[in-house]
Formats: sequence, structure tokens, C-alpha cells
Amino acid sequence: MKKRASFILALTLAASLLVGSGKVVLAGENNTFIYATAASATSLDLHREITQNNAFAIDKIFEPLVLFDEDGIVGDWLAESHTISDDGLVYTFVLRDGLKFSDGTDVTAEDVKFSLDRHLEVEGPLPLEADIASIEATDDKTVVITLNQAYTPFFSELANFSNGILPKDFGGKTEEEFFQNPVGTGPFAVDEWDPAGDLTFVRNEYYWRGTPSIEKLVYKVVDDDNQAINQLKTGEVDAVADLSYANAAEIDGNAETAVITGGSWNVEEIFFNTLDEHFSDVHVRRALALAIDREAITQALTFGYGEVANTVLPNAIRYNTTDSVNALNLDLEAAKEELAQSAYPDGFDTTVSIASGNNVRLQEAQILQAAGAQIGINIEIDAKEIAAFREDFKALNFSIMINSATADYPDADSIFAFQVDPEGFSQCYWTSYKSDEAVKLLKEGQVTPDGDERAAVYADLQQVLADDVPYIPLYYPSITVGIRSNVEGLVILPNGSARFENVTFN
Amino acid sequence: MNEQSGITEQDFRKKIFWKWLRSAFLRSLLVIFFVMIAVFFIIRLVPGDPAVMILGEHATEDSIEAMREQLGVNLPVSQQFLRFLSNIFRHGDTGDSLKYGISSREMVLRFAPVSLSLAGFAMVITVIVTVLLSFLAATHKDGIFDHIVRVIPAFTQGMPVFWIGLLFILLFAVHWRIFPVGGMKEGPFGLLYSLTLPAITVSFGQIPPLVRSLRERLVEVLNADFVITLKAARIPSRRIFFGHVLRNAFVPTLMLFSVNLSYLIGGTLVVEQVFGIRGVGKLLFEAISNRDFPLVQAIALYCAVFVVIISFLTDLIAHWADPGTEA
Repeated sequence: MKKRASFILALTLAASLLVGSGKVVLAGENNTFIYATAASATSLDLHREITQNNAFAIDKIFEPLVLFDEDGIVGDWLAESHTISDDGLVYTFVLRDGLKFSDGTDVTAEDVKFSLDRHLEVEGPLPLEADIASIEATDDKTVVITLNQAYTPFFSELANFSNGILPKDFGGKTEEEFFQNPVGTGPFAVDEWDPAGDLTFVRNEYYWRGTPSIEKLVYKVVDDDNQAINQLKTGEVDAVADLSYANAAEIDGNAETAVITGGSWNVEEIFFNTLDEHFSDVHVRRALALAIDREAITQALTFGYGEVANTVLPNAIRYNTTDSVNALNLDLEAAKEELAQSAYPDGFDTTVSIASGNNVRLQEAQILQAAGAQIGINIEIDAKEIAAFREDFKALNFSIMINSATADYPDADSIFAFQVDPEGFSQCYWTSYKSDEAVKLLKEGQVTPDGDERAAVYADLQQVLADDVPYIPLYYPSITVGIRSNVEGLVILPNGSARFENVTFN
Repeated sequence: MNEQSGITEQDFRKKIFWKWLRSAFLRSLLVIFFVMIAVFFIIRLVPGDPAVMILGEHATEDSIEAMREQLGVNLPVSQQFLRFLSNIFRHGDTGDSLKYGISSREMVLRFAPVSLSLAGFAMVITVIVTVLLSFLAATHKDGIFDHIVRVIPAFTQGMPVFWIGLLFILLFAVHWRIFPVGGMKEGPFGLLYSLTLPAITVSFGQIPPLVRSLRERLVEVLNADFVITLKAARIPSRRIFFGHVLRNAFVPTLMLFSVNLSYLIGGTLVVEQVFGIRGVGKLLFEAISNRDFPLVQAIALYCAVFVVIISFLTDLIAHWADPGTEA
């Protein structure tokens, strides 16, 4: 009897394995799109969040008056039209006809006022920098925003996910209730959400640009690179965000998968602490810039998914002058001459700080190390776990660091305010760089209306930075997303987010 | 036994048992207590600000300060420690997770079943394979099979767990597509189906030392006088093996198993990472890199409790199998 029982048990086990393997739900089935993301969305409160894991979930639910497209150009979105007064103080937005929230209620100008007012009240990590005097709903569809001072970046700033529109008074719910199951105008609404796990969206039947063709969108947390690409290869997920370039090359070569790319708001950069005894000397900074082969770095580390950067303004943002700026390129003789003019003609010892666990950064540090060695600068690599790395550079406790800078919204000011303004909280991305001329141009850029004049201001600013070298821009990384070959219509945005409303399966 | 003394042998045994039980229990409590204290201070000695980890590099100083206040990490460490103690004694919790804003205890309890299933599954595989291999090796001492069993583990033991895991994924999941690459599938079959590869991976590193130990003891016991006597009495060999040999041989192996258990748990944590299984191990990885203090403390606490309970149980079994064991 015992024998038979154990035999039956073994049989059941074997059978269950077979049954189990037959039951794999592959991505793409049931019109569900599964997107692998590195971290779970922990909060959907658009005014209190900034990191990508939350931002790229929030922007599916809430939409702002204006929005950027895949080239980073900002245009009307929930607004049908807008006008900006000549003095740059009064912005008037007119809402589209028939706009509805995902619960079917109409969107009115009062909702817009409420949303922006709450953002001003909360402030949050992505505050509106414009000096806003008033926000008025003059009729059901018109919103008038008045500034105390002209501030050109305001228009792009409004394209931030944090300026999305929600129903007035949270549709009658409490704040907490509302953000558990938020209602917006976006293409998707929350279906099931685990703050420590996956997030499933259901399509918004009322979406003003037409109901999305996929029924559900799943953000599946897969935080290991190898896991993510293997799951993509076997079809357990339909797309993987943020492929490393080495993996992108492999995914692209596979018949069942493909890679789509787009320009980004990122720049990979070397940062100097200008309070450091050596790097306070502009000649030292220039010497190192002249010793580095940025072309070779880009070639070696981006697998063709990056472009050499001559300025710190990302090339997917308007007014970038990478093609015309006069940047310091590899020239060892000039580098030695430059160093001879410095206070350290015979070289010195220093350290480059990087976050550990990032192979690309490590290779960049090694290339920098080799470049320094050629002109007598002995560079040691100090790799620290990311939290410790951040703590160090925020305490200005570094000489050189390698990191990437990111614009929060597609305006040149988003980068420059962070990297040029010594009064800003970031102290010029913790380089403590101080240039009166750069600050003057920064302020000018903030009030000059968009157009040729503003372009000229930013061209000058980029030249100042290229000459002073508080930063050495290395390359503009592309955004790379791995997809299954049967996926069509996925749109990659330059901030790293994606639009799924037009996705179809072949 | 001397009736006059008033102590029967049974009473005496009971007394020894209770004494042993009491000291084992106190020892366990002490271990848990020190783990708690150590983890609280060590995680705070590590540089890195939880608020920065939550908000990222671009957040303004004001919003980071506000976040620190909201999280309670702006308080002096002594005050945080008092809070921590009161939380433990009043709620049996280590506080809300800084990142998720959910009770750490709930988080651990939610992710524990997956990890326990994985550890349990791995344990079952380990025990079955160990007994089987050791038995075959011991009964065919110095035969080809014995040599194979002794040589192969030398290789497998040298392979890191995450590497074995990756090989299994490439072979069984990507190439042959028999098992999923990672993650968890729904339902009991899904559980079994998702955990097979990870469990085999975990047990890979566990089996070799156990086989070596058990095989050696089996060889010894199989040659013991009482076994030869039993054989001579024509007792069926299976009954000799399971009823007498195994019972006599397995105590040292059980002790080794109990010591190795912490490695098995450690291995489970690594394997969860490789297979993308959202269990306690992955949670721990995440919690440490986010400087999610309460969550790290909760995981350390529950792991310590778990290990202590298991080693207590193995001690208990060893005590039962051989009351002379000074566990």
C-alpha cells in the first residue's frame, strides 16, 4: 500500500510539473502588455514624487496642459491652444472640447486651477520655479496664469508630470483615498497596485486621443538585468526599459527581439570639485580635458548607442550647440602646455569618485586614469556604494567624480540652473563652480523669449562652460528599450518614459 | 533503580530534559537580542541617507529635509533606538518601511512564504539526494559509484551559487524553455514550477559536505558489530538500514545540516536575486541599498528567529535520537 501511495505521489508531482509548464502565460496574450521595470511604483501622488519608478507610472494617469513629444518639443496637450503675452507674464490656456477623466466626468478649468494650486502648496521635490502671481479659471475652459516675473522655462516646466491635472477636491475623496486609486485624463488607470510589487493598469475608455488598443498594461518589477533580458528573450515580458548597451547589442541581434532607441535628456559627465586644491586651477581642468579622447570613450562604451558630447546640454533639448561649440578635444601637446601654465606643472596625485557596481563608470574612470597618466596626473579610482558615493559628493568630499546629469523637463534652463547657478541648492552640481559671466547668461536665458535671441544666449553660455571646464561632457547616451519583435507602436520619450496607447501586437 | 531515593530514571531524564530546554531557550533569546542590537547600529553606521535614496539626486535640499523629518531619521540615534525598542515591545514590529510606508513586519510576513517554500523545497531535495547518494556510496564502498560521489562534489562545491543559477537559467529556461526564467507563477503548481530550478540551485551547494559526512558515518555504522549481528539474525536489510543504521549515523550529519542551515538561508537570498523571485532575500537586498532601516531590522530579526527555531528543533531531534548529545 505504502509503495503504491508513494508511486501515486511521484506521478502527481510529475504531472503537475507538466501541467505547470503548459500554463505559462506569455506576454502579449489577452491583449496585455508586460513592461519590465527596475523598481516598483511606491506612490502615485504626482506632487510629492520625482524618481522614475513613480514618475513613469504617474504620467500614464495624469496629463498636463502641455507635453513634450519624442523629440522633446513641447506643445499643447490637454490645452487646445495657448497664448503668452508679449511681456512674458500672462499665460492663457484653453482646454480641448469633450475632455473627460477616466471615471467619465468632465474636465473643467477649475480642475486645472485646483491641480496647480495643490502643487504650489505642496511644493514637493519638483516645484514650479516660476514666480506665480495667480491662477484663475476665467470660464469653464480657460485658465489664465499670471507671473510676477517673466520666466521663459515656465512653459516647458508645465510639461512635467507633476503638473498633471486631477479632479477638483480629489473628486470628493480624501487625499489618501484618491492616490490609492487616482483618476486622471491619461490613457490608463490603476487596476491593481502593489507598492512593493507589480502595477497593473487598465485602459481609460474615455481617453481623448482614442481608447488604447491594449486592454491592460503591467509594470512588472524585474530588478536584475540578466533576468530582464532573459525574460524578454523567452517572451515572459514584452519590453524591457533601460537596457545596458552591451545587452542592447545582444537583444538587437536576436530574431525574436529588437531594440528601439531615442534621444535622451542625459549627459554623461566628469565633474570637478572647483574647491579642490588642484582643480580650482582652470589650467589643470583644461589640461585634463585636452588629454581625454572622448571619441574613443563614446565608441568603446556606448556600442554606437551614444554620441560624443561637446556641451553639457543634452542633444535632445533645444539650443544644444554640440556641433558648433569650440570644445577642447584630444591634443596631448596642448594638454602638457596647459598643465605647464598651472601651479602644478609636474603633475600631482588625485582621486576620481564613482559609484560602485556600474561597469561603464568604472571603465570611464580607467580611461580617465590612463589619460591623466600621460600628462603626469596620477589618478586613483575610489568606487563606493551609491548611497555612500552620493553622501560624499553632496558633502563636497571629492576631487573628480563621474556621474550623469539629467534634465527634469525639456528646457535648457533645467540643466543650466542645476549646473551653473552657485546660489542654487545643488551648488552647480556640487562642483562649487562660480562664474559671473555664466550666471549672467543663465539669468538672461530665463527671461529671453524662445527664439534666436535665446539661442544666442545659450550658445554663449555653452562656450563659457567649454572654456572653463567645470565639467567635461563625455557623451549623450541614447535611450534603449528592448521589445519583442511582434510589438508595434511603442513610443520612447526622451525622459526615459514610454507611451503605450498605440501599442499593438502583430 | 533505588526506590528509596524517590527519583525514578524517568524523572531523572525529564529533569535533564527540562534543564536542557531552559538553557537552550535562554540562549536563543540572547542570540536574538544581540542580533537586534547589532543590526540596529551597524546599518546606521553605513554611510548614506535614506531620504536621498528615496528622492534621488535632483531633489531639493528642502524636500530632502522634509522627507527626513517624515521618516524620523532626523532624530538623534539614541532617540531612534528608544523608538525602535518601544515599537518592538509594543507592536512586535520594527516600524514602517521607509520606502514603502508599509509595516516592516507585514512586508516580511508577506514575502516570507515564498522564501520559506524555496528553503523548504531546497531542504527536501537536499535531504533526499543526500540520503540516496550516501547510501549508494556507502553500500558500494570503493566502487565506481563511491568514487563518483566523492569526486563530483569537489567540483560542484567550488561553483558559486549565483553562477550555477545563471547556467540553469540559460540551459533550462532560455534554451529548452522547460522552466520560467524567473519570477513567480500563480497557484500551487505555479509555485512548484517556478521554484524547481531555484531550489535545485540552492541545494547544489548544500549536498556535498552532507554526503561526505553521512557516507563516512554510514560506512562506520554498517561495519559495527551490532549491524553484523542483526544481519546474522536475518533481519531484512531495509529494516536494518532505516531502523538502526540511519538512526545511528544521522546525528552528526544532522548537526552539520543545522550549522549549514544558515548557509542554506544565505544561499536562498542570493538565489532569489538571480531568479528574480520577490522573496525576503530580494527585499533585504533592496532594503539595504535603500537604507530602509526598519525593513533591514525586521528581516534580520525574523531571520534570526527562524534560524534559532530551526537549530533549536534540530537540537531537540538530536537530543531525542541520542540523549547524550551536548547540543
